[in-house]
Amino acid sequence: MSGPPLVSARPLFVVEPRVRIALLPGDRIVATSGASVVAGDVLAERVRDARLVETGDGHPATSHPGSWIPAEPGRRGTVPAGELLFEHGGRRRIATGPHPDLVAAPAAGRVVAIHPGVELVLGLDGTGIRGAELLGDPGHGRLALLPGDGDGRIPLEVAHAGAIVVFPGRADAEALTRARAMGIAGAVVPALAERDRRDVVASEARQRAGLHRLAPFPVLILDGYMRRSLAGPMREILAVLAGSEVGLAGGPPMLLTALSLHDLPSPDPDRVRVRGGPEVGREGRFTGLAGPRRLPGGIVVETARVHLDDGREAVVAVGDLEWFT
Amino acid sequence: MTDAAAPAREAGAAPTRPARARRDAFVTLDRGTATCAAAVVARVDRRWRLLAATAVPAAGVPASDALFEILLDRVRTADPALAAGLGLDEPGTIPPTIEAVGSAMAHAVVLAATEVARQRLEADATAAGWRTTGASAERLDPLEITRLATRPDVAALVVGTGDPPAADERELVDELVALAASVAERRPGMPVILVGAAAASASAFPLGTDVVAVPRPHGEPAVDLRALLAARRAGPADARQALIAVTATLAEVLDLRIELLEVGMSGALRARAEPGPEPGAPARIAAVEAPSAVLGLVDDDAALDRVEAWATFGLDRARLRDRLAELRLAPWADLGGDGALLRAAALRASLERLVAGTAELDGPPPDLVVLAGGAWSSIPAPAALLVLADAVRRPGIVQVALDSARLLAPLGTIEDAAERARVVGELLADALVPLGTLAIARGVRAGRQAGQLRLTVGDAPVDLQLAGGRLALVDLPPGQAGAVELGFRTPVDLGVRGKRFALRATGGLAGLVVDLRDVPLRLPERADARRDVLGSWEAALWPDRDR
Repeated sequence: MSGPPLVSARPLFVVEPRVRIALLPGDRIVATSGASVVAGDVLAERVRDARLVETGDGHPATSHPGSWIPAEPGRRGTVPAGELLFEHGGRRRIATGPHPDLVAAPAAGRVVAIHPGVELVLGLDGTGIRGAELLGDPGHGRLALLPGDGDGRIPLEVAHAGAIVVFPGRADAEALTRARAMGIAGAVVPALAERDRRDVVASEARQRAGLHRLAPFPVLILDGYMRRSLAGPMREILAVLAGSEVGLAGGPPMLLTALSLHDLPSPDPDRVRVRGGPEVGREGRFTGLAGPRRLPGGIVVETARVHLDDGREAVVAVGDLEWFT
Repeated sequence: MTDAAAPAREAGAAPTRPARARRDAFVTLDRGTATCAAAVVARVDRRWRLLAATAVPAAGVPASDALFEILLDRVRTADPALAAGLGLDEPGTIPPTIEAVGSAMAHAVVLAATEVARQRLEADATAAGWRTTGASAERLDPLEITRLATRPDVAALVVGTGDPPAADERELVDELVALAASVAERRPGMPVILVGAAAASASAFPLGTDVVAVPRPHGEPAVDLRALLAARRAGPADARQALIAVTATLAEVLDLRIELLEVGMSGALRARAEPGPEPGAPARIAAVEAPSAVLGLVDDDAALDRVEAWATFGLDRARLRDRLAELRLAPWADLGGDGALLRAAALRASLERLVAGTAELDGPPPDLVVLAGGAWSSIPAPAALLVLADAVRRPGIVQVALDSARLLAPLGTIEDAAERARVVGELLADALVPLGTLAIARGVRAGRQAGQLRLTVGDAPVDLQLAGGRLALVDLPPGQAGAVELGFRTPVDLGVRGKRFALRATGGLAGLVVDLRDVPLRLPERADARRDVLGSWEAALWPDRDR
């Protein structure tokens, strides 16, 4: 890996990624370790409002924490099925509850490991493109790139139902809630403010509180919290993927494609993006280090020369630059 | 410098050519979680001198040799003869490296039978640098405890009871151990630390579990629990453990009471050392970490309130939250303009939290306060003294110095205490940038003529009228020292109570600062008025903050 010296590298690709899907005590695992899966295959049934049930009626064969205990008749009626939490003094504590929600595989691959109540690990085919955070459960769909850098709400339409849409410009909680209501399967956004993140998570929780089964609505955030547009290398990758089936997963946060690394555009190692300071959001070509310079405010930092795409030469703090690899 | 003392841990890839291990030059690397600080140190005129230093984003330094090469090239350009004399004239020659490594934030779940035991254990784990989530069998149900303890970011499980268990713990201990064992089975590989009576239950855990038993018969620690927990958290050459060691060394070398305040992105440390009772005796050192005091961490609304209260620039609450979240994501970015003001506000909030979280170290003011860690380098040096004065309202007179090249942590990894003392002693003038002398007086009434100050340096006295509620600044450059006479109209508390004081002030980048503001600081309730007041103080010691 070579790139501009002292500039933070931002690795984009993960070949054949391993993805962790979080489970909670009481979730019922449907998948088996080593099994092959395709996008949409049900891996687990998510428990909603799990509760603890204590029972003294032992099932001698299964005493390991995490074991699934089937429903069985007890002295005070039927003991519901659930996950064994632990056993102490001849009494069992079982996590149980209704399982209306399904956890599905976001892409094709195989089940690598299952840790009941903790996680399920998938080894996926193809390539993962890293993001910063995923809100919601994993999901999949056809990738649709919305046009323009403006308000993401305007170009949303019913034809996008079932797709994972990319908002190249502004996205907020209102746009995302509207997208969900239109049957859109997920979203990819460059950045999302903390307030909008909280609104999206709260909206998801409200939706989940309903009695009916609900499809997940994952939101992949590629950058951070402050509004910014899609980085050039990311835009090129998403353009190639537009129209194809992709998945979104959260551990680590990434967009998943069946394409191999060779089928995706490689970022130019000399290209840098400015992520802070007065030139924030601009991109250009790194031309060399410029030594220590004083920034407004009085701090002295290492800087670099950048030939910006608009033709200007700029001296930028190396901390404000990033390059994609 | 001996070869035995370096390197503490080799960093990054090997240089393209084998490095010559020279006895008259070494390089240091403080690899923090946000930034990497590197320095070149060499023997010049028979003593160690700092030749070059810089700090860059940690994510931009996959191999430290590239960073060292840049610094060595600067040395070669600035003084080719010196570089040749030190054998550093050829590119690719990296002298021995001393490296300290900042550990990432680590999270432990603390389980106890009762709330009282939980609070005690959590205090120990926090002081050892762990971010903790506590749960007791008294308050939480097993399902919730299992959820908490099996989260992927949890790196250790601490389970504790009294030894022997208290009456209210007895019936809960076995169930607690059974629950902890089930968590260990779900999270294989996670270390479990059993404290007190729970230590006897190691056999209840699945085979292969990394169990550390810490019995504490009759409440007495058989081993120092904090030291054990700190060792479990810290990796080799841990920067915070090294800073603790070097604080003791500074106390020995300078024969002064030292307080070190370190704030970073993954933790915060307060260490106090004082010289031994007789010459040559080792220094007494006490140190407490406060992981909740990391820079810019906004884990609840109260944390945001604390930063907002110190902000000297206008920003609505939602945007401030986003800026702080970005600061946590990319702490090396956006350092200019209001990025520096944001860091100053966050640093004040962190420092307040650090001091509040380490109250067990409170005591009379030390002789010298040393500011260490990358966060202090994100604001100009004189402003660092103001941040200290704002956040630590402790009456008394202290000298203040800044570890600007971040040499202290790497030097603290030198294992041989005598060798460390020798290197620190020789490098002291370069390693610690003097910020000046800070005198904080309590009991001065705001808005009134409070008294007068006379500073005598050589034959030229400087007289200044002192006004309550204000900062009095006297220019006293680094390297100078002078006699100060302070006279007040009414008795004030300056560490001791009195009306007339005579002291010796040492110079620094901020000079002599006599702080006559309220102790504790009283600020206007209204945000804009508060910003104006804070801004006016800030402008006095940070005149180029808007330029």
